Amino acid sequence: MAKVVVASKALKPFDPAQAAKVIESQTRDHGGLISILEEIQLHYGYLPEGALRLVAEKTGRDLVDVYGVATFYRFFSLKPRGEHQISCCLGTACHVRGGALLAEEFQRQLGVKPGENTPDGKFSLETVACLGACALGPIVVGDGHYYSNVNSSRVKAIIQETLEGLKRKDPAADESLFPLTLHCPHCNHGLLDPDTPVDRQPSVRLLLAHQGRQGFLHLSRLYGSHGHSTQVEVPAGEVTDLYCPHCQALLNAPDDCPACGAARVALLLAGGGVFQVCSRRGCLEQTLDLDGRSF
Amino acid sequence: MDRLTSLDAFKAFTARLAMDPGRALPVIVISAGTCGRAGGANDLIKMAQRTILEDNLTHRLRLRVTGCHGFCETEPSLLVEPNRTFYPKIQPQDVARVVRAAARREAVGDLLPVDPRSGKPIETQEDLPFYQRQHRSVMARNEKVDPRRITDYLAIGGYGSLIRALEKRDPAWVVGEVKASGLRGRGGAGFPTGRKWEMLAARSADKGKYLICNADEGDPGAYMDRSVLEGNPHSIVEGMLIGAYATGATAGVVYVRNEYPLAIQHLTLALDQAREAGLLGEDILGTGFSFDIRIVKGAGAFVCGEETALIRSVEGEMGEPRQRPPFPVERGIGGRPTAINNVETWANIPLIIQEGGAAYAKTGTASSAGTKIFSLVGKVKNTGLVEVPMGMTIKEIVFDIGDGSRTREKIKAVQTGGPSGGCIPVDQFDLPIDYDSLTKAGSIMGSGGMIVMDEATCMVDLAKYFMTFLKDESCGKCFTCRKGTQRMYEILDDISKGKGTRETLDLLKELAEAVKDTTMCGLGQTAANPVLSTLRYFREEYLAHLEEGRCPAGVCKDLVGAPCQAACPIGTEAWKYVAHIARGEYEEAYRTIREANPFPSVCARVCSHPCEYKCRAGTTGGEAIAIRALKRFITDRIDPSIYKPVRSALPPGMDARIAVIGSGPAGMTAAHYLSLKGYKVTVFEKVSQPGGMLTTGIPSYRMPRETLQKEIACLLDQNVTLRLNTELGKDITLDGLQKEGYKAVFLAMGAHKSKLLNIEGEDLDGVYPALEFLQAFNLRGEKLAKRRVGVIGGGDSAVDAARVALRQPGVESVTILYRRTRQEMPALQHEIDAALEEGVKLVTLVAPVRITTENGKLAGVECIQNRLGDVDRNGRRNPVPIPGSEYAIPLDTLIVTIGDIPDVEYIASMGIAVDQWGTLLVDKGTLLTNKPGVFAGGDVITGPNTVVAAIAAGKKAATMIDRYVRGEPFKQPPTIRLPEVYLAPPEEGEEVQPQEARIALPTIPVTERRVSLKEVELTLGEADARREARRCMRCDLEFTRPPAEQGKNTERTEHPSHGSV
Ligand code: FES
Repeated sequence: MAKVVVASKALKPFDPAQAAKVIESQTRDHGGLISILEEIQLHYGYLPEGALRLVAEKTGRDLVDVYGVATFYRFFSLKPRGEHQISCCLGTACHVRGGALLAEEFQRQLGVKPGENTPDGKFSLETVACLGACALGPIVVGDGHYYSNVNSSRVKAIIQETLEGLKRKDPAADESLFPLTLHCPHCNHGLLDPDTPVDRQPSVRLLLAHQGRQGFLHLSRLYGSHGHSTQVEVPAGEVTDLYCPHCQALLNAPDDCPACGAARVALLLAGGGVFQVCSRRGCLEQTLDLDGRSF
Repeated sequence: MDRLTSLDAFKAFTARLAMDPGRALPVIVISAGTCGRAGGANDLIKMAQRTILEDNLTHRLRLRVTGCHGFCETEPSLLVEPNRTFYPKIQPQDVARVVRAAARREAVGDLLPVDPRSGKPIETQEDLPFYQRQHRSVMARNEKVDPRRITDYLAIGGYGSLIRALEKRDPAWVVGEVKASGLRGRGGAGFPTGRKWEMLAARSADKGKYLICNADEGDPGAYMDRSVLEGNPHSIVEGMLIGAYATGATAGVVYVRNEYPLAIQHLTLALDQAREAGLLGEDILGTGFSFDIRIVKGAGAFVCGEETALIRSVEGEMGEPRQRPPFPVERGIGGRPTAINNVETWANIPLIIQEGGAAYAKTGTASSAGTKIFSLVGKVKNTGLVEVPMGMTIKEIVFDIGDGSRTREKIKAVQTGGPSGGCIPVDQFDLPIDYDSLTKAGSIMGSGGMIVMDEATCMVDLAKYFMTFLKDESCGKCFTCRKGTQRMYEILDDISKGKGTRETLDLLKELAEAVKDTTMCGLGQTAANPVLSTLRYFREEYLAHLEEGRCPAGVCKDLVGAPCQAACPIGTEAWKYVAHIARGEYEEAYRTIREANPFPSVCARVCSHPCEYKCRAGTTGGEAIAIRALKRFITDRIDPSIYKPVRSALPPGMDARIAVIGSGPAGMTAAHYLSLKGYKVTVFEKVSQPGGMLTTGIPSYRMPRETLQKEIACLLDQNVTLRLNTELGKDITLDGLQKEGYKAVFLAMGAHKSKLLNIEGEDLDGVYPALEFLQAFNLRGEKLAKRRVGVIGGGDSAVDAARVALRQPGVESVTILYRRTRQEMPALQHEIDAALEEGVKLVTLVAPVRITTENGKLAGVECIQNRLGDVDRNGRRNPVPIPGSEYAIPLDTLIVTIGDIPDVEYIASMGIAVDQWGTLLVDKGTLLTNKPGVFAGGDVITGPNTVVAAIAAGKKAATMIDRYVRGEPFKQPPTIRLPEVYLAPPEEGEEVQPQEARIALPTIPVTERRVSLKEVELTLGEADARREARRCMRCDLEFTRPPAEQGKNTERTEHPSHGSV
């Protein structure tokens, strides 16, 4: 399973011990320089100089080789990136539909050139050659969210939306959020808890364990809302164990989270079907399979 | 799912799947690939799930979330099986209705797509014109499977081809089938896949042999590999397994772009599931055959499309190519034999094994078998992935499947093969697509990108775009590639700024050929293609940049400046007067208009406003600024006398008299500008009033006569004499004029004769050529139309005639008959709208066959119904008569025009060269006819054209005649006019966004129009005008700086270079 580290917004300071671990795990997997550097970049958001030196040292390669690979590929960045990433596609399809004008508009409004960060560190602007949605160009991606058929009048709004993050949906107003009635797949006990409402609805109560601490986790029963409350503070990116509060069975699903590789929790849906949610704090992956077929 | 340990276990499992009773239920299919999600598919999924839960439909239907189906333009969309009802561009709030109807096995009529030709709803996906001509063997499977479920793939027979291969127990048989299929690599070069496999199979596997699936999809603009990998990852896994079995390969790698996160996710999942099911890894299905696949993520380098570079990258190193031989089949990953095929090639393998190589080879052409997926994108209406048999023509793909241009611009070319490919112009669209024909045409198949370009795409800019890309992507190993691409870029950049001469093009070509011949890898060898193919087919466009300082497409900024100004044939600084209006400076606005245009009030009413079509507020998704309406606002409010033109005198002793024939916009404009230069001009007019077509052709409800006369009167100054009722060929002759001492003559008689149908009966009473009909009314007040009126034609004079007829007494009905569709009518769109509002009927797709008579008098016209047939060179569909569809239309008046031509039969006898339609032949650069001292311009040389084009001709004639008389060279270096004056945007008042709605022009009520000749359009109010002006995006500000900032760093932002995601 590919490991995707859930990006935390704050930049992590370079930590040689941590980097060494990354390098070792990749060397073990017979990854070449590229995959080592990829892992480091996923971790830090860029390639710190110290990390490059460390890679050279650990792999026994010349620093110039490491540097060579790091500068050869577009994916790698030698300087830290902004908190939010805006990528404008300049592939041919987007180009003929006005991609360049659009990229210029982003430059103007953000006040930076492609490849640069805004002075406040909030944004980095990139241009890319094709994001694979050519039919709907021009394409702009803001923090992983695709905007299609973009024109310059939408630039301002896209910058704003990327800054705010995809707004947490308003459960009262959003039609696409709807309540689920969930059961434990082991004891079939209902999991709804009317006493601790989340999103003004009875919540889904689970038992959470993380590094020796235990407590209840209350999830919103609204599919798509991601609202929750918990008694145990878990830092973003950490994986937790979740149990049925009634039969104490570990709720792990047979398949791991497709987005981040952590274990997923599977719950049964009244009326048939399976609801799965990732056990990693901060990972928003949820799926709902109404016909409940397993793989 | 449990591990399957034998072929029998596999068969038993798939048999059980086939018996799942749920398979009979209706299925809602939601396409949620990257493009679907970008279009909003996630919301559809949730709404569908919500409805299913709330209505308790879990046991009545199923939901399938799939990858991309191909028709990306219509995302987000829904497909309902088994009826295959297709719902394009669905809103989340409509999903519930579709789901409920599907449970009842019904369709929702009002959400169905409508056939643009017949106007009828289209019931099934297969009937959509987009899909009708496709042959979707690879793509069609995307909609059948949820890519995250191996069971979905198994249920449609997935991995069955692997079983077939395993059961044969003969790897050589597999290689033989692939060879027989004629499959060639879908990644670009088109090397026969079977041959490659045969070579790999022959190598020893002692130290391992590798298979690579190249999913690096380097061509920016092609995305079929993403779509297949994302939508059907198991088909790739199966293809590679079959390849491994056939060649004895021991390990596989999928090299996939980092920019495709969803594809990586789905493939990872597929590999896990296949391993768990016993279909991948050690001892597959208990047969002893072992093979595993890992994913390597590409870090972004176009050169990795080159095999040897890709292998270096898989090894984790810098992706620099090396010399071949040795080829990868000999020495690949880690020195081991390696075969590389791209995603689409692998996806075809299971199909070949399933149906057999020979059967597969039946599709396509002799040299290129099978189907090919193209990414049909750019300026075409139906964008998406299309899979067609090899050998289909570009025309069929672009016009039948793609439905032609998505804008009002004509399609000009397609670009295929990405940065290594080339452009193919529209007149070669009959080219059948296969590897070899494309290469011959100067392009390549490449991975199947097909980017459609229209008249608003600049070929110089496109070549420059590719060179920007290539110079950044060149790995730098070969000097000629590194420096050559850089230098080609610089030359193209110069051309885009108008710098250079014809010789520059020779240099560019020479350089391109040198790069082609002297570089090692594919990137360098093909880097010249975009340059060479555009030079080959679009040399004229290059020359326009160099010799006229003009970018015909309106793209190259340093030549275009503000698009509105560049689009205007007379270079009006529209941006400037719009800015003045926003600031409330109306007199300044008037001066700006008048500076460029001696007919401001006329153009405020009847100009075809090319500026609005190029207005960036319109071309970037919103609505163009109502520039013409703003001009009207100014000309209605400001007295012309505030403008004092600059006059100059001729050198002492030089006394030159000029004759102008015709007092229309071309003639009067030439007279005016010659007068300002100090010439004495006599204007000869054939009829009793000046104005040419403005007077005789354009009705007064569009162009009030008083306004027109005033405007003409302003131009009759001390140097200009007007002689009415004086006809060339009757009252005067060219030789006579020259003998009288006129130094030059400008022929600007216009095109005042209607082209007729050439059918019997056109000379009957009650049948009128449109211009004759209009002239009779406009000049003499004759009302010729009676009772039921028919007008044949679709141009401006047809619409004018129809609206004039409608205003005449005793007219019961007016019907315009046009042979194509409304979209193709050449008349101004808002005039057609106005005619329809007033009650004119429009019948399209009909052609008159015969004029019918009764007792020798007009009785009507017999028409035949047309359908739209093949596409012509201009991308328009030709009307084709439907046999047996004739019908009669009873009429009392018939007005005919299918275009206007000059009425100058006498001119040839005066020694002036004329073409077969009677239009005068001139040198386009100088407007000089074949007779010395005689110039011609306007409609008389172009046929019917716009007023503003006539004014432009008049201006040019004045310049050329001046140069002629002074004996100066005609040709002078082009001047490039960019915005120069800085006008600060208004500070007070609320901000107005460009995307806000365009102001609608006020008009008098329709009821009033039918009974009077009052001007239909009214003037904007001041508040509306200023608000509309404030919508302007102010393209000029990119070129100007406030005085305080001038002299500081005025460098503009350059074309952004390629960074990383
Ligand atoms: S060209 Fe922009 S997404 Fe492909």
